[in-house]
Amino acid sequence: MTAAAPRINQDLLRPLLETSWRFYALVLCLGALVAVGVGAWFYQVYYGFGVTGIRWPIYWAFYITNFVFWIGISHAGTLISAILRLVNAGWRRPVTRCAEAITVFALMIGALFPMIHLGRPWLFFWLIPYPSERQIWPNPRSPLVWDFFAIATYLTGSLLFLLLPMIPDFALVRDKTTGWRKKTYGMLALGWQGTPKQWHRLESAMQIMAIAIIPVAVSVHTIVSFDFSMAPVPGWHSTIFGPYFVAGAIFSGIAALIIAMAALRRFLHLEEYLHPVHFQNLGKLLLLMSLLWAYFVFNDRLMIWYGNEPAEMAVFWVTQRGSFAPLHWAMIVCNFVIPLLFLTHKRVRTITGCVIASVAVCIGMWLERFLIVVPALGHKYLPYSWGSYSPQPVEILVTISTVAAMILLYVLFAKFVPIISIWELKVGEQSRLPTPEAMREHPLWQANP
Amino acid sequence: MARKWGIAVDLDRCTGCGACVTACHAENNIPTVGAAEAARGRAMHWIRIERYWEGEFPDVRVKFRPVMCAHCDAAPCEPVCPTYASHHTADGLNAQVYNRCIGTRYCANACPTNVRFFNFFNPAWDKPFHLQFNPDVSVRSVGIMEKCTFCVQRIKAADSAAKADGRELKDGDVQPACAQSCPAKALVFGDLQDPESEVSRLSKSPRGRPLLDLGLLPKVTYLSRQTDV
Amino acid sequence: MDRRSFVKLTAITGAGAALASCGSPENQLIRFVPDDDLVPGVATWKPSVCPSCAAGCGVQVRVMETDAEVVRNGQRGVIKMRVAKKLEGRPEHPISQGGLCPRGQAAIQITYHPDRIQHPLKRVGKRGEGRFEEITWDEAIAELLVRLDALDAASAQDALVFLTRPGRGVRHRLVAQFLERFGAPPQVPFELFSDDVLRRANALSFGREQLPTFDLARARYAISFGADFLGTWNSPVANSAAYGRMRHGQPGIRGRFVQVEARMSQTGANADEWVPARPGTEGALALGLAHVIVAAGLRRPEDAGRPGSLIAGWAAGLPAYTPEHVEQVTGVPARLIERLAREFAELGPAVAMIGGAPLAHSNGLFNALAVNALNSLAGSVEKPGGMFFMPQIGDAIFRDAERPDRQAPRSIDRLAADVLAAGESPVEVLLLDQANPVFASPRAWKVGEAFDKIPFIASFGSFLDETSILSDLILPDHSFLESWVEGLPESGAAAAVASVAPPAMRPLHQTRAMPDVLLEVGRRLRRPLSPPFPWQTFEEALQESYGTLPEGEDGDVWSAIQMRGGWWGGLPRREAEVMREGRSHPPVDFVEPQFDGDAGVFPFHFLTYSSQAFLDGSLAHLPWLQELPDPLSSAMWSSWVEINPKTAQALGIAQGDVLDICSRHGSVRAAALVSPGLAPDVVAMPAGQGHRTFTRFASGRGANPIEILGPMAVAGTDALAWAATRVRLARVSGPDGGLILFAGEMREHPHEDHGR
Repeated sequence: MTAAAPRINQDLLRPLLETSWRFYALVLCLGALVAVGVGAWFYQVYYGFGVTGIRWPIYWAFYITNFVFWIGISHAGTLISAILRLVNAGWRRPVTRCAEAITVFALMIGALFPMIHLGRPWLFFWLIPYPSERQIWPNPRSPLVWDFFAIATYLTGSLLFLLLPMIPDFALVRDKTTGWRKKTYGMLALGWQGTPKQWHRLESAMQIMAIAIIPVAVSVHTIVSFDFSMAPVPGWHSTIFGPYFVAGAIFSGIAALIIAMAALRRFLHLEEYLHPVHFQNLGKLLLLMSLLWAYFVFNDRLMIWYGNEPAEMAVFWVTQRGSFAPLHWAMIVCNFVIPLLFLTHKRVRTITGCVIASVAVCIGMWLERFLIVVPALGHKYLPYSWGSYSPQPVEILVTISTVAAMILLYVLFAKFVPIISIWELKVGEQSRLPTPEAMREHPLWQANP
Repeated sequence: MARKWGIAVDLDRCTGCGACVTACHAENNIPTVGAAEAARGRAMHWIRIERYWEGEFPDVRVKFRPVMCAHCDAAPCEPVCPTYASHHTADGLNAQVYNRCIGTRYCANACPTNVRFFNFFNPAWDKPFHLQFNPDVSVRSVGIMEKCTFCVQRIKAADSAAKADGRELKDGDVQPACAQSCPAKALVFGDLQDPESEVSRLSKSPRGRPLLDLGLLPKVTYLSRQTDV
Repeated sequence: MDRRSFVKLTAITGAGAALASCGSPENQLIRFVPDDDLVPGVATWKPSVCPSCAAGCGVQVRVMETDAEVVRNGQRGVIKMRVAKKLEGRPEHPISQGGLCPRGQAAIQITYHPDRIQHPLKRVGKRGEGRFEEITWDEAIAELLVRLDALDAASAQDALVFLTRPGRGVRHRLVAQFLERFGAPPQVPFELFSDDVLRRANALSFGREQLPTFDLARARYAISFGADFLGTWNSPVANSAAYGRMRHGQPGIRGRFVQVEARMSQTGANADEWVPARPGTEGALALGLAHVIVAAGLRRPEDAGRPGSLIAGWAAGLPAYTPEHVEQVTGVPARLIERLAREFAELGPAVAMIGGAPLAHSNGLFNALAVNALNSLAGSVEKPGGMFFMPQIGDAIFRDAERPDRQAPRSIDRLAADVLAAGESPVEVLLLDQANPVFASPRAWKVGEAFDKIPFIASFGSFLDETSILSDLILPDHSFLESWVEGLPESGAAAAVASVAPPAMRPLHQTRAMPDVLLEVGRRLRRPLSPPFPWQTFEEALQESYGTLPEGEDGDVWSAIQMRGGWWGGLPRREAEVMREGRSHPPVDFVEPQFDGDAGVFPFHFLTYSSQAFLDGSLAHLPWLQELPDPLSSAMWSSWVEINPKTAQALGIAQGDVLDICSRHGSVRAAALVSPGLAPDVVAMPAGQGHRTFTRFASGRGANPIEILGPMAVAGTDALAWAATRVRLARVSGPDGGLILFAGEMREHPHEDHGR
């Protein structure tokens, strides 16, 4: 342990130990928004699903958009943590837990939406395979049932992936605190003493999880994409949807991660731990994903346009030129133009630049989900049955409140768990071989020359 | 031998009058949603008469086309329902089990012809309209998908009656409400497995084709207007 | 113990049992003893007659038992009773042939309507306010008797007017005889889309004042001039059945039909060829066809017999009606005229029909006579595949059918004018039955103002509408399912048909059959009717008339009639009608149609039409029909005005925009519906919506085009020329949500059409 360790401890445990009024105010505001959303949903259940904007033939809209969006966001953790772990990228260390937390919470919120959008939500448990007295199980051919398994698996895996490396940090908090904190964190630490054997087990477990979680993550969003591609809906029935959705998920996940990190850096004063280089690297990844996303979109569109199949072209035109054109082109700007502008050159790829690009991407990716779901449903094979959708207050409130819920969960997480993995950071500090100049510049060096 | 119920729609006989639409409402306890909800796209016409204009004045033409659930043998709505509420029966019907439906609405999205309808609210009938309910058909509640059933209650009733009489069902014994009401006899219902039935004969007509060419194996054959052929 | 005490006892013990079981007493309704033997879950089928239009389709009613809330002896309770569940066409009925149009299907909602008047009402408050109090039948009839006796005492029996829907059967005759014996003038018939012009033309051409029947099933070629015969006109169910057979009823033979009209109707949408002709010129077109047929030597003028001689210039081969000249008049290309004429003459059997707007122009009578002549020329009168006149049972069973009308019935506009012109209304008592002229007549006729002057109005109707709300007394009739019903169709079948059926179910409410009420009133007048009616009930009257029909193998004809829902078959030659000599009339020639409104100020022809859902508005109170998507527009719960796309573009009007439609007589507002089915100078608006008062489903909904029609008459008749109005349009605002369409898109390949 270097002498910088107490400094790290102090900085990273401060959020757990000191609480300002701003925290309470923020939690109150977010909590209020969440309560409003919950109220809106109960209103929907009480009065009937008709209070939404859903109609014949557009039977999925905001709620499913949100579902896909949040599941997409949840891919951030996997990529950053697992892949970067596997390739042993050092700069991942301050970032992993932020990312993994996003994954878990985004998954939890995303998994709420299949329940929120049900016509009879009090029967949601029929989606769970359990031996019922009617001897009837969920339909294994249905992509919605695959969703259930995939999300459940991914959530379990992500939780493990998140909780395992938290154990040493819980132990640290246990050791550094007294009273109820000592008790609680003691329980959570599961008796961690930091013995070499325990460290070895932890590392092995992390390695296994890192390898295992990647295919799970890829499969989750592929399976979510099957919700669309398995249906013979023009504009949905496309073989590209699997990789397209996964790429889009990683894309939006990285954007969310950048925003989260920037916020944490600012409000928890983690400037020393989350450096511009982290944002530079993530920004480069974001740009890469933007290009990849654009590639998939171009592929999809080109095939449709070239094939000129009438039903698909109807969806194509209404999206590109018709009533959805403003949203469509906004999406292109948000997902492609703005990232290119702010992420291509090192000069603009600052933290601010990355955040701007990320916010644009989050908006753009939400729009992208919406534009996948709604125009196609509104323009299927029989033009007499085409329809147009407009959202109602219930859906908008629920959407806003889930964003608030996400932020709230995250804020609470940062309050009770060190948002940067302390032990990993220290390990990183130890194993890093800096240049002599960099060493002399770095505060840790100065603390411990 | 198992039966395969189907319908032949003769577009050359259909006049677009809408008798089938109203008869279906009367037979199946379909809610009338009212002006406000109809404006929001919630009207529930299990069978509808699609109408398409062609050309411009004065060379203008109209096509009428009754569209109802085709009970496809490769129905895309069946595999996607997570609770088996939409499933295929031995008689070739796509059955919608109201009690099992939790309202994911995936089936409606998967249906290429948009013949599935959702109960957005608990249906209400001003009394004494409820006296008109057909007791052989359940009244659905909020959150449940519904669609044309080929008047399965009439099929069952005809089966019971035939069994009680100790005879087989003949072609024409079962008439869903739409076919029964059509003044021009444009809708013909029957057993496609019976080569002698009227619907089999009509389905093999050179004028006959399915509504969409998606490989869904629909049981509704449309006989084109002769001027189109 | 008598029945009443038994019921009371059971009711009390029923209530007691209910109290003993569970629930609070207020929530438990008394259960009455059922009136019939009921087998739960088993349906029986009873015959009836559809009341929605004059076609008289025979229906069968599916009747099953259910728990219904009723009021017996002033006590509200629940009773198990047989009620109607579904209407279907009766398969063996010659008119419906097993089919039933949407209006027939929806008719069951009349019986169960929540806004149905359930017991007699007496007005409290000002007339037209709509405030009534419940009274008993005894009080109601007593009130009516007071009024009638007063008329009698003052020797003012001719101040009684009975307003009703036109009819031909025993019910109609019972009313007529009541009025005659009382000393009042004959009942005033009112129906907006009544085709009286065609009846008159047929009287002139063929000696039959009757609507024609068309044997479409055996026709190879048909031309319809404006007749919506598959939708709303002249026995549409029978026509549709025949149409289906015309197309594919005979192997290898497919009949063709051509529709000539200024606005594409539902029928026109099914035509093999749709020919838009200028409004009011359809008769000239028909004569143009005749000219070509004669000129080509396919027929000789004398082949048309008497109907031909009614047309000026007929014997000379109609020299004025060359295709070129007819093209000038009608806008139909000369080559098309020639081709249609040849097809009509060569593709036999061929038949021409005329109905709807062509009969409702100022020259409507001419148009009808022209088509009659065309049919005669083609040899399609009383021939297979052509037109003929349905034998009328009325002629057979009503022995005094030959007596001339003692007095022609006054028309409603004449009545209104007479009432308004006089200082004191010449009409003191007005009885209303199945007519709503305040809604369904032009404002220019001022029917509402006239009725306001009439001291006493009583209505037999089941609903409060614009006319019945002016009543002082309401004696609600049964719905058709609860009473003896009857229909004597004047067209629709080859055989003679009388539809007669007993009640399919017991009355739900405290209503009474109007004929029975009249009979009771007749018995209790201070000065009895002379001669008095021999029947106690309407049923007896029906039996007396229809029981005289020839028996079949069934034996007792009256029992057979009740079981089958009527009588149909061949009448003995003596009773079957033969063609009579028409009345004399000077030969007619084409006259340019006159229009209400100067073309400079009112640039558009205003074509209102009988809507598929509501006809003239009398069915707008039925929610199934409100929610039924209109065949051509897919509109529900809405009013709209159809305009041509070029016109819309020129005026800067988009679909759904609210427009002001002004004639010389007023204006209405409706949403614009862009439709390629009419000429740029024509706008069309369906009749039926725009009720101010007509139950919760129709009140305050949409706009009523009938209001702004010009009060022009069809020359040579009393009929309203409802197609002769001109209007101007003004855009008021963008869409206000009033236009509710079921359809998303009107074209099957919208993007391909854009390219053109």
